[in-house]
Amino acid sequence: MIGVVLIVSLALPASSSYGQGIADDQENKRCLKCHGEHGSVKKFPDGDFISTYVDANTLALSVHRSLQCTACHKEFTDQRHPDRAFRNKLQFRIKESHGCRDCHAVETLKSRAIHEALFKKEGAGEAVVCTNCHSAHAVTHIAGGNVSKSEEQYCLRCHASEKHMTFKSGETLSVRVKVAELRESPHKNVGCSDCHFGFSADDHPRMRFRSERQYRLSLSEICRRCHYDMYSKASEGIHYAMLSVGKLEAPTCIDCHGGHAVSSLGSNRLGIVQKCKTCHSKVYEVYAQSVHGGALLKENNKDVPTCIDCHTSHSIKDASSSDFRETLPGTCSKCHSNETIMGKYGLSTDVVKTYLADFHGVTIGFYRNEQNDGQKRYQPDRPMAVCTDCHGTHDIASVSGIGVQTFKKTLQKRCLQCHSNASENFPDAWISHYKPSFTNAPLVFIAEQFFRIMMPLMVIGLLFQIFLHIWRYLVNR
Amino acid sequence: MMSPEMSDERENIRRFSVYRIIEHLALILLFVVLAATGLSQKFYTLGISQSIILALGGIDTTRVLHHLAAVLFTVLTFQHILVNVIGIIFEQWDTSMLVSFKDAQDAVHNVRYYLGMAEQPARGGRYSYKEKFIYWLILLGGIQQILTGFILWFPVVTTKYLPGQFIPAAKVVHTNEAMLIFLLVGIWHIYDSMFSPEVFPLNKSIFTGYAHKSQIEQANNSGKHTG
Repeated sequence: MIGVVLIVSLALPASSSYGQGIADDQENKRCLKCHGEHGSVKKFPDGDFISTYVDANTLALSVHRSLQCTACHKEFTDQRHPDRAFRNKLQFRIKESHGCRDCHAVETLKSRAIHEALFKKEGAGEAVVCTNCHSAHAVTHIAGGNVSKSEEQYCLRCHASEKHMTFKSGETLSVRVKVAELRESPHKNVGCSDCHFGFSADDHPRMRFRSERQYRLSLSEICRRCHYDMYSKASEGIHYAMLSVGKLEAPTCIDCHGGHAVSSLGSNRLGIVQKCKTCHSKVYEVYAQSVHGGALLKENNKDVPTCIDCHTSHSIKDASSSDFRETLPGTCSKCHSNETIMGKYGLSTDVVKTYLADFHGVTIGFYRNEQNDGQKRYQPDRPMAVCTDCHGTHDIASVSGIGVQTFKKTLQKRCLQCHSNASENFPDAWISHYKPSFTNAPLVFIAEQFFRIMMPLMVIGLLFQIFLHIWRYLVNR
Repeated sequence: MMSPEMSDERENIRRFSVYRIIEHLALILLFVVLAATGLSQKFYTLGISQSIILALGGIDTTRVLHHLAAVLFTVLTFQHILVNVIGIIFEQWDTSMLVSFKDAQDAVHNVRYYLGMAEQPARGGRYSYKEKFIYWLILLGGIQQILTGFILWFPVVTTKYLPGQFIPAAKVVHTNEAMLIFLLVGIWHIYDSMFSPEVFPLNKSIFTGYAHKSQIEQANNSGKHTG
C-alpha cells in the first residue's frame, strides 16, 4: 500500500504541467456538464458497466487538475464524442492506461523496479493497467511533488511538524517526531510501520485512547514483538506486577527506554540513575549522598553500582521481599569479592567470606538451600541480617570514612531492630569482618590459637597411645 | 574374646548400677544428637552437613533440636555432679574417680612399659588413668560447652554483663571443644571399649552392668580397667 503512493509520486514527471493553475475551465466544464452527474454508465457487451461520473472535487485536488480532459482522453474534442466499442471493462482500462505513456515515458517509468517488473509482465502478455494502482481522476498530489525515498520520509511529511493527538480525558500529546533523535537511535534502520503496525501510507487508523497513560502502555506492547526476552523478564518484575493490579503509573518499556530516542541505557550509568529518579526521587536523594551515589554523580566512577546493578533492570524484585533480601550478600559480593575493584580503594575482599562464615551468613545460606531443596519447608522465623542491615542500603557510607568506632555506635540501633534489649556491648560481638588478631580481638585470637595447638597434639597423642597399646599387645603374644 | 553371659554367673562381678547404665545411655543419645546437630553447623559447607540439616527439617529445626538436647544435657550433667557430690559427702562413696598424682605416674609408667622399659604395666585403681582422663575431659568439657552454649544461645543477655567479644570467643571455644570431645570419644573411647584387642568387639559391661572376673584381672594385668 505504501508502495502505491510512492509509485504515484515517482510516476509524476517533473516536466508535467500540474501545479500551474487550473486547466481551461471552459472545456472541463463542458465535459462535466454530463460527466459531473451521477447515473450515466458505459455498458460493455459482457453486461459489465462503468460509471461515467467524474467527481469534480476529486479532480480539482488531483495532480492532473491542471490538465484538460482531452489531454488524456485524446479521441474526444468539443465536437467529437466517439462511441467506442470495448469487449469488456478490462480492455477499456488497458486502452485508457496506454494514454498515460504519452507523457510518462516508458524509460523513465522503468527506473522504478516495480514498473520494470510490470513491463516485463506486459511483455509476457499480461494486462498492465496504470489506474489499478494510481487511480484515474483522483491521482493525488503528494507533498508538492517531492519524492518519498522511504517510509520514514513519507510519515515525516506530517509528523516532523508540531501536531497533537487528543485523548478522551482531554489530554493532548504531541505526535511530532524529532528526526535527529530517531537518526541517532539504535532503531534508525527500523521502519515506522515496523513499530506502528497497522499504519501505512494508505492506512492511518484512528485510535481513541482514554488517556495518554493508556496510550503509552499500549505502545510498550509493541516492543514485545522484537524484544520478547526482555519483555518476559520484565513481566516477572515488580513494575509489571503493579501494572497488573491496575497501578498504571508503573513504568513500561518506553518510560525508561524512550520512544523514538530509544536507547539501551546499558552503558549510560548516569542516565540509568536519572531514569529511576523520575519516580524514585526520594531514594535518589539518599543515594546521591551515599558512598556509591556520591562517587557516581561527582566523579562518574565506573566501579560503583547504579540502581540496576543491585535491583536488576527488567526482572526487578520487590525489595521488601525475603527473596530479594537473601540475595543481597551475593549482590554485594559481585564487587566486594572482586580483588581488582576492591584493590583500587584499599578495601578487603574478606568482607563477604567473613559474613558468610558467621551466624547470619550461615543461616541465610541454609535458608537458600532449603528453598532450593524444594520441599517447601522454607519458612524463616524472622529476617536474617544481611549487608544492608548494618551498612544501610541507599544511604550506605564508607566505614573507614566515618571511623569504625563511630560506625559501631550507630550499629546498636540496627541490632536493636531484631535483638531487643541489645546493650551497647552487643555490636562488639561482631568483630567487623576482620580475621581475629591479638590486637583487634585478643580473646578470640587466644582461644583460636589454643585449639590450634591443642587439637593436633591431642589427636596425635591419642593415636600414639593406641599404636603403642596394639604394638605391646602383639609383642606380648 | 570374653563373653561374660556364657561364663559362670558367679564369675561375673557387678560393676555398674542401673542408674549408671541409664545415665550412660542418656549420654550416648544426647552426645549423638548434639554432635550431629552441632558439628553439621560448624562444618556447614560439607555435603553431609547440608544433608543432615535438610533431613532434620532445615537450619531452624536443627537449632531447636540442638537447644533441646543441650537443655537435657545440662540437666544430665548437673544431676550427675549433684548425685556424686551428695554421694561422696553423705554416703562415703568411693572417690576412685578423682584424679591423683598416681595417675600421672601410671601414665609415665605405662609409656615405659609400652616401650619395653618396664616389665609390668601400671596397676591402676578401680579406674585407670585413661578412663579418668576421658571422664574428666567429657565432664569439664561438657560444663564448658554448657557455659559457652548459653552465651551463644543468649548473646543479648551475655553482653549485658560481658564485653561483646565473648560471643565470638565463646563460639571458637564451643565449636572447637565440641570437635575435641568428638575426636576423643570417636578415637579413644570407641577404641578402648570396642576395638581394643582385649575387649573386641564390644565391652558390654556398661550396658549389662557386669564385668567378667577374668576380664578385670586381665585389665589389671595390662594396666587397664574395662568399663
